[in-house]
Amino acid sequence: MKKKPKKKVSEDKQSTLADLLRKHGAQIYDDLDKGNFPKFSIPSRSVSNIVYDKKIRQYILGANTAVRSSRNSSQLRSFTQLMWLAFFANRLTGQKKSSTLRDVYYSSQAFEVDFEDQAESDNIIVDLEAVLASPRESFHVFPEERSSVFGDLTIEYTVPGYQGKKTNLSDHPDGYAIGPSLTTAELIETSAEVVIAVEKGGLFTRFVEEQVDKKFKAIIVDTGGQAPRSTRTLLKRLHDELSLPVVILTDGDVYGEHIAMVIKSGSANAAHLRGLTVPDAKWVGVWATDIEKYKLPTIPMTESDIKRCHDLLKDPRYQEGIWKKELEVFLKIKRKAELEAFSKYGLTNITDKYLPHKLELAKSL
Amino acid sequence: MSSKETFTQISPSEFFYRNRDLAGFSNPTRSLYTAVREFVENSLDACDQKGILPDVHMSIKAVDAEKPDPKQYILSVRDNGPGIESKQVPLAFGTVLYGSKFGLKQARGMFGLGATMAILYGQITTNKPLIVKSSTDGKIQDEYEMLLDIQKNKPVILKHETKEVAKAGLSVSIRLEGDYSKAGSKIRDYVYQTSLITPYATITFDDPKGDRYRYTKVVRTMPPSPTIIRPHPHGIDVETIRRMLLDTNYQIPAVDDNMILKVRKELGLANKNLSYSEIMDKTQKKWKALTRPVRTVMALMSFLKMDFEKLSKTTIEEIDIGNKKLTYWDFGESQSVSVDMDPESFYYKQLASTVQGETLTSFLSKRFQRVGPTTALKFAEFAKFKPEHRIGTMTNQELVKLTDALQSFDDFMAPDPSCLAPLGESPLEKGMQRFFEPDFLAVVQRGASAYSGFPFIIEMGIAYGGKIASRGIKVYRFANRIPLLYDEGSDVVLKVVNDTDWSRYKVKGEPPLVIVSHICSTRIPYKTVGKENVADRPEIERELKLALLSLSRKLSSFMSKRGQAEAAIKRKNLYSKYIPLIAQFCTELAGKKKEPNYKKMITEEPIVEEKT
Repeated sequence: MKKKPKKKVSEDKQSTLADLLRKHGAQIYDDLDKGNFPKFSIPSRSVSNIVYDKKIRQYILGANTAVRSSRNSSQLRSFTQLMWLAFFANRLTGQKKSSTLRDVYYSSQAFEVDFEDQAESDNIIVDLEAVLASPRESFHVFPEERSSVFGDLTIEYTVPGYQGKKTNLSDHPDGYAIGPSLTTAELIETSAEVVIAVEKGGLFTRFVEEQVDKKFKAIIVDTGGQAPRSTRTLLKRLHDELSLPVVILTDGDVYGEHIAMVIKSGSANAAHLRGLTVPDAKWVGVWATDIEKYKLPTIPMTESDIKRCHDLLKDPRYQEGIWKKELEVFLKIKRKAELEAFSKYGLTNITDKYLPHKLELAKSL
Repeated sequence: MSSKETFTQISPSEFFYRNRDLAGFSNPTRSLYTAVREFVENSLDACDQKGILPDVHMSIKAVDAEKPDPKQYILSVRDNGPGIESKQVPLAFGTVLYGSKFGLKQARGMFGLGATMAILYGQITTNKPLIVKSSTDGKIQDEYEMLLDIQKNKPVILKHETKEVAKAGLSVSIRLEGDYSKAGSKIRDYVYQTSLITPYATITFDDPKGDRYRYTKVVRTMPPSPTIIRPHPHGIDVETIRRMLLDTNYQIPAVDDNMILKVRKELGLANKNLSYSEIMDKTQKKWKALTRPVRTVMALMSFLKMDFEKLSKTTIEEIDIGNKKLTYWDFGESQSVSVDMDPESFYYKQLASTVQGETLTSFLSKRFQRVGPTTALKFAEFAKFKPEHRIGTMTNQELVKLTDALQSFDDFMAPDPSCLAPLGESPLEKGMQRFFEPDFLAVVQRGASAYSGFPFIIEMGIAYGGKIASRGIKVYRFANRIPLLYDEGSDVVLKVVNDTDWSRYKVKGEPPLVIVSHICSTRIPYKTVGKENVADRPEIERELKLALLSLSRKLSSFMSKRGQAEAAIKRKNLYSKYIPLIAQFCTELAGKKKEPNYKKMITEEPIVEEKT
């Protein structure tokens, strides 16, 4: 049984964020009081300022910053919107309430800050992430979509009304939704030795039915396609706080390969954020080379698959190891296979045969 | 099919009667409008010519107000102009093609034709006489009531009386069939626009409904009146040259009693009967004082060797300079007689020059503008004519060659614009100011330019905002101070306005914008006989473009100043809206109770923007 070494990680985070918000608020308050027009400095998120950092193995923002000034009439509105969001985030975290992107957009309407559409408010949320260098989940804005987790993991809630309450994540066979309360919970203990992230809900259910958690001492996570940030945060915490290795199973195509890469090293969209990546995570399948090896039924790659393949080959993260090799094989065979392809050999073939092979292989990757 | 055709000559009145559509009298609506135009323009032209500030009163009254249109109306136009001499009145109003406006200078109408057409139309549709009241001295007024004899092209005077009056001027009143319910808006537009382009005139219009439209003069100075000038070589055609030759190259004078009387008078002989040799002696002495026709007669006499008695009984048939023979018809003997002419004689040279006309160079420099002796010589070389070529001896082919050369020779100076009478920038500006009361107004008068030998000047004004309605760009077109109301779409001015990218001058949407365009020329290149749209001659289009360009640049700088002011207000509103919100949010964020003191930030002016 692994126990968490350090306590109260989430609370510490919350207090530093609150400090940061107060610091910014006080600065602007002083400016206004002195009759100065306040301004913000926001790390630039333009393509030219996104660079790949080889050391931490993820995309990060360069040194460029954009100044948003309340004196400039064309920036005044977005300045006010950013201020409102900071104000709203402060209320959310202070009162331990949760929100979503959509909820933020609708909440803004009570304050005359004039978001034209949700896309505009989403963009301001990313601005605040960049200013605070924290993901929106840290100021209690969660994604709409939910992915799931199942396995022997005891957590302790920190959300109001549930503080101190413990739950084991193997108690419910549908798995637990990775929402705000689970994301902010303390991870107490687990018997698992590995985390298996799968791309699809269907396979997640199959794994639960086939008791993969027990057979392989695993915590099973359904990423629901491209993993939401709260899911990536959970994967990172499972790896960092409980020292569990993370393996990833995706469809046998370029998109699957990239889902695995985003969990491992993040996305350019989130270059302003750290702490969302699991650099040690391992993609174990389905590889292009598996298609021949396991004689999987395939479908041809589309034009866009092939284009995506060429694009990824230019990405610095795909310049070595299996990442590069598998892309090249995809390009050569020009065919792809779904995770479900294994059912050709029986419904349990993937858990009986393929998964054990891959978990074994993962140790040597 | 009949091969028999009869050819009959018709009078000018008859011709216009048959072709009245051409002159704008096609239907009751158009006819009423055209009649108004012709009379008002005649009045304004008459005042212009005498330098009188025009005061024109026009009225249209229904003969029977109850009847539906089209119906009979009485159209009266009264002015304070110079009037017309009593004995000229019947001819001026009762004859087609009688007028005072033949000649090359800018005027509204060309030959006074239109007014006669209106009278003709009125008479055709109502069979009522025209009434003209005229006073030239402001004391005695002649009043005529008359009809036109269409076939004979002669006036028929029904009544003529005189009475005492206090003011000079002319008043014309006709009865005609018209349709005011349809023509009304055009007539009101016409009066309005005429007043706009004639700011030195007072124009009053009493309409059939009893409404009065009155536009009083805005300025008290008249534009300088144009001078009559000789034609420019570029603006000439074969027919014009032929006519010029006719009156240059004096025809052989008819030696009738009148002429003999004239000769006697010039020689100072009165009723004295002198012999042939005595007459020739006298001729020698007085030669320099004689007029050209008399010189010709005397030259002929020198060869005929006759006295006046005998001369009166002959008629000259042919002067054959080449063969040096003179042929005359003797009434007494009833036979043709030829005599030889001595080529060495002084009188032979005189006769030869008369019959053959002047030399080409002298003809060109005397009868055309912008041609001096040097230019004439250069031209002769260009046209491959001898400079001393006698124009009277030119064949048809040579005349065509001469005309072509005149049109294509590039070294003539541009036509003399002194025959033009533009309104002038200041009167145009004052007129537009009064009519539109705009926020912005600019006018420009371009320098004189020419197309095909006809000089022209473009004047243009642009007005924006103020009391102008936001209904898009409105263009008022004028040619020689006449508003052009019909056929707007195909006009060159519209083309130039529509080709302009107005967004470049910060004019957007349906702007409150008025453009006044005035083309002055001795000949406006109208597209159609209706004379309502100007053709797109490249020279004219270019001048219009340049005029519009200079005005729209001024408009643009006005617009950007206005834009800056509007932006400043908009900015201030933005600050007033958002700064309090920022204050509210940061107060809670900073954990303070009282909001920061930001009030002065949104009340103080101006806020200087910071661009990043």
